[in-house]
Amino acid sequence: MNPRPLRIAKRIYTFLIILFMYAPIAAMIVLSFNASKSRAVWGGFTFDWYRRLVSDAGILSAFNNTILIALISSIVATVIGTAGAIGLMRMKSRPRAVSVAIANIPMLNADIVTGISLMLLFIAMRMTLGFTTVLIAHISFSIPYVILSVLPKLQQSRGGSYEAALDLGATHTQAFWRIVFPDILPGILSGFMLAFTMSIDDFIITHFTKGPGVDTLSTRIYSEVRKGIKPEMYALSTILFLIVLLLLFLINYAPEKKSSRSMKHLVLSRVVPCALVIAVLVFALHSTGKVSAAAGRNGEVVVYNWGEYIDPDVITMFEKETGIRVIYEEYETNEVMYPKISSGAIAYDVVCPSEYMAERMISEGLLQPVDRSVMPEVSNIEDRFFNVCDSFDPGNRYFTPYCWGTVGILYNTNMVKEPFDSWSILWDEHYKGEILMQNSVRDAFGITLKYLGYSLNSTDLDELTEARDMLIRQKPLVQAYVVDQVRDMMIGEEAALSVIYSGEAHETKAQNPNVGYVIPKEGSNIWIDGWVIPKNARNAENANKWINFMCRPDVATMNFEYMMYSTPNKKVRELTTNSELKNSSILFPAEEDLDRCEVFRYLGSGPTDTYNRLWREIKSH
Amino acid sequence: MSSFEHAVVFALSIPYNIPMSYKLIELQSVSKSFGDLKVLDNFSLYVRENEFLTLLGPSGCGKTTLLRILGGFETPDEGRILFDGVDITDLAPNKRQLNTVFQKDTLFYHMSVAENIAFGLRIRHASKALIKEKTDYALHLVGLDGFADRMPDSLSGGQAQRIAIARAIVNEPKVLLLDEPLSALDLKLRQDMQYELIRLKEELGITFIYVTHDQEEALTMSDSIVVMNAGRIQQIGTPEDIYNEPKNAFTADFIGDGNIFDALMIHDQHVSILGTDFECVDTGFGENNPVDVIIRPEDVELVSPEKGTIEGIVKSVIFKGVHYEMDVDAHNYHWLVHSTKMVPEGTPVGILVDPFNIQVMHKPSRPDEEAANHA
Repeated sequence: MNPRPLRIAKRIYTFLIILFMYAPIAAMIVLSFNASKSRAVWGGFTFDWYRRLVSDAGILSAFNNTILIALISSIVATVIGTAGAIGLMRMKSRPRAVSVAIANIPMLNADIVTGISLMLLFIAMRMTLGFTTVLIAHISFSIPYVILSVLPKLQQSRGGSYEAALDLGATHTQAFWRIVFPDILPGILSGFMLAFTMSIDDFIITHFTKGPGVDTLSTRIYSEVRKGIKPEMYALSTILFLIVLLLLFLINYAPEKKSSRSMKHLVLSRVVPCALVIAVLVFALHSTGKVSAAAGRNGEVVVYNWGEYIDPDVITMFEKETGIRVIYEEYETNEVMYPKISSGAIAYDVVCPSEYMAERMISEGLLQPVDRSVMPEVSNIEDRFFNVCDSFDPGNRYFTPYCWGTVGILYNTNMVKEPFDSWSILWDEHYKGEILMQNSVRDAFGITLKYLGYSLNSTDLDELTEARDMLIRQKPLVQAYVVDQVRDMMIGEEAALSVIYSGEAHETKAQNPNVGYVIPKEGSNIWIDGWVIPKNARNAENANKWINFMCRPDVATMNFEYMMYSTPNKKVRELTTNSELKNSSILFPAEEDLDRCEVFRYLGSGPTDTYNRLWREIKSH
Repeated sequence: MSSFEHAVVFALSIPYNIPMSYKLIELQSVSKSFGDLKVLDNFSLYVRENEFLTLLGPSGCGKTTLLRILGGFETPDEGRILFDGVDITDLAPNKRQLNTVFQKDTLFYHMSVAENIAFGLRIRHASKALIKEKTDYALHLVGLDGFADRMPDSLSGGQAQRIAIARAIVNEPKVLLLDEPLSALDLKLRQDMQYELIRLKEELGITFIYVTHDQEEALTMSDSIVVMNAGRIQQIGTPEDIYNEPKNAFTADFIGDGNIFDALMIHDQHVSILGTDFECVDTGFGENNPVDVIIRPEDVELVSPEKGTIEGIVKSVIFKGVHYEMDVDAHNYHWLVHSTKMVPEGTPVGILVDPFNIQVMHKPSRPDEEAANHA
């Protein structure tokens, strides 16, 4: 036995554990100071992302909300929880044990269950999801934490001291405030801090109970990160991490047991830091308080759009020109958006679904027709797109195209030397381990069905089974099934070929010129996102104005240059001054390529289940 | 019967005409149940001014509940409590002219010793000068001068309990309730504190109602003892009465050691114990009537076999300091004998008992009157 190598081994082991736990956070903190936008390149040290945070109105308002919700919810939860704990203590031991267990269950409950249940309750009570519902949710999930930290203090607080005080002539009120309260104060403060931390920390429950225009830091970070590389979010996450770290430190920092003047000690060790944190936060809150603007003189419009799917200046322009205040909310997928609309929990005024989702919403009667008479600018939209949409929206009564794109193959020109024009290259053994597929059932089946010469909306079981077998055969060649990472992986030259959306393809090419985009000759998918007005919209008139505004050539051009997605607006290619965009073959594909493309249709629940079943068979093969 | 002397009597069962002013506290037919458990069963009692009364009984006999009812922390299901002739049954604890020293350590740990003691005075908005004066006096009374600025955390168990007493007496209550205040202390400290309490009572001239399950403590300190079991009074009397003339097997067994027998009252002044006729002084138990008999171990005299009423043999001897404790097997009964004279193990002996020391008792009419250790 040689103790020295053993000691070194122990140290290495400890180090590895710590590394394992903290490496992700460290990576995030380091990246928040990285001048380069890329995750792969160190571009020098910078405070830029932090500086940008402070000037981002959306983030400041999210910060504002976070603090306000945390502060109010933790104060209310502390009062309710403390009262509850005192009540519990006065119960007989068996009912108390049962009640404490009942009070603790919500803590063990999965957040997602809590979140969904609260959302359902709010909807059932016909409450509009928003700031209030988030606040109620936070109060509700914080209470058990307060009870949990107050109850032990009450139990160990020399139980008889309350009665002793009564015996000495104190009233119930006096006995509580002079004797019990100082005794359990450390528990109350811990409970408050814990509730505060939980509130700041929470994402899932907030996510389900929030309404349009209300974001906390965590939901904001989530929606921003979903959209892709945004180093501001690393900075914001770092700040959030540090706040929570500080709070946890304060909660867990137990003052040593001191025989002298423990009250003074308590004040110094707990109350002062608590007060400091609150003071700093309230100050921050106050200084950012100006962010939230008053409602516009012509009312408001609640917009529910994809993340990063508009030039923020367009929103400002719209507000200025129309006097309508825009409440802007974002989603990441059609499937996230759909239940919010169908539940009716939130009255959105204008939403931007993809064509297949719009078809479903029309068929389910969730939408109201738009008023074309107040939309002169709609004439700027190419007829081609209205014609495509006519298949699911006869007479174009509901859907106004906003952006579109194709699905194609993005390839690295250094790795794929010979030219190709067919989906068949994705089944080429030569590129084994170099292929990235979309991790999405319709996209994966769509291109395979097209390759096999069928419609990408096929519901024929034989055709689908054939496609499944093709995909199973392809599986060994595929490096990964990915969604958002395609862009980064192609920029990083981690794969030779990938199935990609044209918008992302364009963005990738801007950062890595060694890529090319092909719409295979068998045809592909064309998708169209467009504006619709939900049936329960409260400001339909303003929603119509919004749609019209989006069709204005100057506005469409701003959006086009900002988002770099293909636009259905026929004036944009003339108006744009950005020659790179103007001449992009990805954004403006040849007409004959487009003619071979098909839109996804909503297939109904039966075929959808079949697709999903076959997709599972592929994934588990 | 010498119960007329007693400070405490069954208020309803005793017909004597005692002036009303003597009854500082009077409990009238108090009953209290927790769920199905009857803790106090039609309990009546009165307490005179300036006496040291002890409620004595095993755990769960209802003595602490009785004290909590007096303190106002429990409300009786039935019955009234009078204080100085005024009904206080529903009066809040803080309105009662009595203070409690609790069994548990109930000092206020976020306050200094002086602040603890001054609590009751502060609540009554006493002046600063008065508070200082009374606090110092109370500290002096409990022998802890100079402890004013200490924090309770730094006190020993005995000191903490003395502060608790000081905190109670500083309010000058008419009655001080003490709920096993010494139970957490070690033996030596407990004995010291017993004398302290007696001294305090003398100095303050107030009524003490003391709860304990420790018969020695009760015998040492009390003017009167109320023996309780299962929510009922078993006997009330001076310590001497309770010890020497237990009224039933429970009291006999609970107070001190004793030899308790299933016996037969042959006729007045003759009782058959273990089949042998013993002379006694008791009368009025009828003829050939089953009775219980108690003989205290120190009242058993060991003589030579032929001189004793019955014969036996010494089975074991233990030295107890002041006396020897001997186990004598006579007529298949193990007699407990205390004597300053040692008789070696294995010696045949005769047992002699002075008729005056044979205490005859009625057979229990209810389970609570039975001896806890009765075979």
